[in-house]
Amino acid sequence: MERFTVELIVSNQYGVLNRITGLYAKRGYNIDSLYVNETENPLVSRMLITSQGDEYTQTQMVRQLEKLYDVQKVILMAQINR
Amino acid sequence: MKISGAQIVVEQLIANGATTVFGYPGGAVLALYDELYKQSDRLEHILTAHEQGAVHAADGYARTNKRTGVVIATSGPGATNLVTGIANAYLDSIPMVIVTGNVPLSIHGKDSFQEVDVIGITGPIVKHSFVVRDIKDLEHTLNEAFRIAQTGRRGPVLVDVPKSVQTDFCEYFWKPVHPVEPPVCPEFDAQAMADAIKNRKRPYIYAGGGVIASGASAELLELSKKLSAPVGLSMMGLTALPKDYPLNLGMCGMHGQYVSTTAAAESDLIIALGVRFSDRATGNVDEYEKNKLIIHIDIDNAEIGKNVTPGLSVCGDVRHVLAKLLPLIEKAENPEWLARIETLKKAEVEQVFVNKDYNPRNIIETVCKFSSDETVVATDVGQHQMWALQFYNFKTPGMLLTSGGLGAMGFGMGAAVGACFAGDKAKTVLFTGDGSFAMNLIELATAVTYKLPIVVILINNGALGLPLQWQHTFFEDRDAYSRLDRKTDFPALAKAFGAHGHRADSVSELEAILKDLPDDLPTVIDCQIEQSEMVFPMIPPGGSVKNIILRG
Repeated sequence: MERFTVELIVSNQYGVLNRITGLYAKRGYNIDSLYVNETENPLVSRMLITSQGDEYTQTQMVRQLEKLYDVQKVILMAQINR
Repeated sequence: MKISGAQIVVEQLIANGATTVFGYPGGAVLALYDELYKQSDRLEHILTAHEQGAVHAADGYARTNKRTGVVIATSGPGATNLVTGIANAYLDSIPMVIVTGNVPLSIHGKDSFQEVDVIGITGPIVKHSFVVRDIKDLEHTLNEAFRIAQTGRRGPVLVDVPKSVQTDFCEYFWKPVHPVEPPVCPEFDAQAMADAIKNRKRPYIYAGGGVIASGASAELLELSKKLSAPVGLSMMGLTALPKDYPLNLGMCGMHGQYVSTTAAAESDLIIALGVRFSDRATGNVDEYEKNKLIIHIDIDNAEIGKNVTPGLSVCGDVRHVLAKLLPLIEKAENPEWLARIETLKKAEVEQVFVNKDYNPRNIIETVCKFSSDETVVATDVGQHQMWALQFYNFKTPGMLLTSGGLGAMGFGMGAAVGACFAGDKAKTVLFTGDGSFAMNLIELATAVTYKLPIVVILINNGALGLPLQWQHTFFEDRDAYSRLDRKTDFPALAKAFGAHGHRADSVSELEAILKDLPDDLPTVIDCQIEQSEMVFPMIPPGGSVKNIILRG
């Protein structure tokens, strides 16, 4: 299993974090670390979510996250082998 | 001009093309219902007997007339009663807008009377959901809800409108709504795809709900004819081609046709159109993928590579992708492959029923004889559903309403009500079982009130047939709670609702009833079959065509 991090640009609104963590929970992936902050643009927030999974899991998570209405951008960060 | 939030909701439903909505009133939507009352000549509201019936009706309505279904319910129990229907629409990609009321913002988040977190509850089963806290956002939010429901892979969108927002006022300008942009063809290397297809000798097309949703039946037929490729269908795609088209092999998968599942296994190319390779359709994925190229075309990028690994893929609307691909496809005859398909067709074991004279097959075929190509057929979930899919002669795409992904017993009665309103109260057939029918038969009351000519064919075996069949096959016949020791007199029950009720004990009795159906009332026909009738073929879960069971 590889540790992988996705960077997300999302709407800065109540409930958004819930939808994103809900997606991880629904697909059965544990979140190792989670970082959220407001950006210089108060309408959007930036998130960094680290989780574990193989290439399949990583691709799936990115594609599922991209479908969320509140998610504007998903970037799969460089992988860090454990 | 300043108007109320409730008025804005009604105006935006109309502006987005809604003409009929389904729902059930309650405390938190009374302001909205007052507006529906005032605007009843512009927007028809259908009152069901239960919110679950309303949401299934909105689903059946959307499937039948290819528009967005709308359902309205109150807060708390009204909202929670919608959950099964929302999940059903989500898994079958049905466009739907759900409007729920909620407690006033002043007491929001305080566990107030009839307050639930409907956004939290429905989170995993909607495309998106909104809470409207400011009346100024209402107009835009409802437009967005309709847009999201209809674009890309369709699905349900929930809009929660607190009571205080419904009674608030703000400026409203009756701005026209921009129509939803139609899908465009994605960029892809069509020539490379055509080249990959060209070298294959045993092509097989696997078509699903995406073909129905995008209206690609004509393109599918052309592809099949050009490639001499047989077509297997998923449950959601079952009506994509007429049943009597020679290369239509029928449904593949767990209870699919032997020829359809076997041909998929023996093919060297599967062109998958608008499908998601459900476990019910593929069985064991490693076996399924063996020795073949899979080309996957689907509108949802997350479906590509999710359940099987395609060699080639394109994310886009099936009809547009096929329109670009078809001119590049070279005609192929594949005589050996077609001969093999004929052999497999002959090997398909005719189902043997316990009762030779009166069984699910001749019941369904008799009903089919009395139906037209335009008759909408709804089903519930279970053995009767599988039999209806196997034996009913579907001719027109989209005329089947069945709970595919969720497999929700109780779907059918609500769906049939919705279909009647979509089809100008045309005759609608519901195939159901005694288990499924009992779950939502209260909607017979709705069908009587609105004079809907629904023909309920109750394939009654006194049991939960599929669980019983599985218990027989996998649990050494231990029939744990799957036999229904009930004394329900269904024809009498139907009459108590004000509907017609009959019992048919033979094909000729059934024919006599079907010849003389009322066109302004529902009819329930109790067809009692042997409890030991089973659905075949059957592939055990996780199995492959090697494990197929052809008879009991």
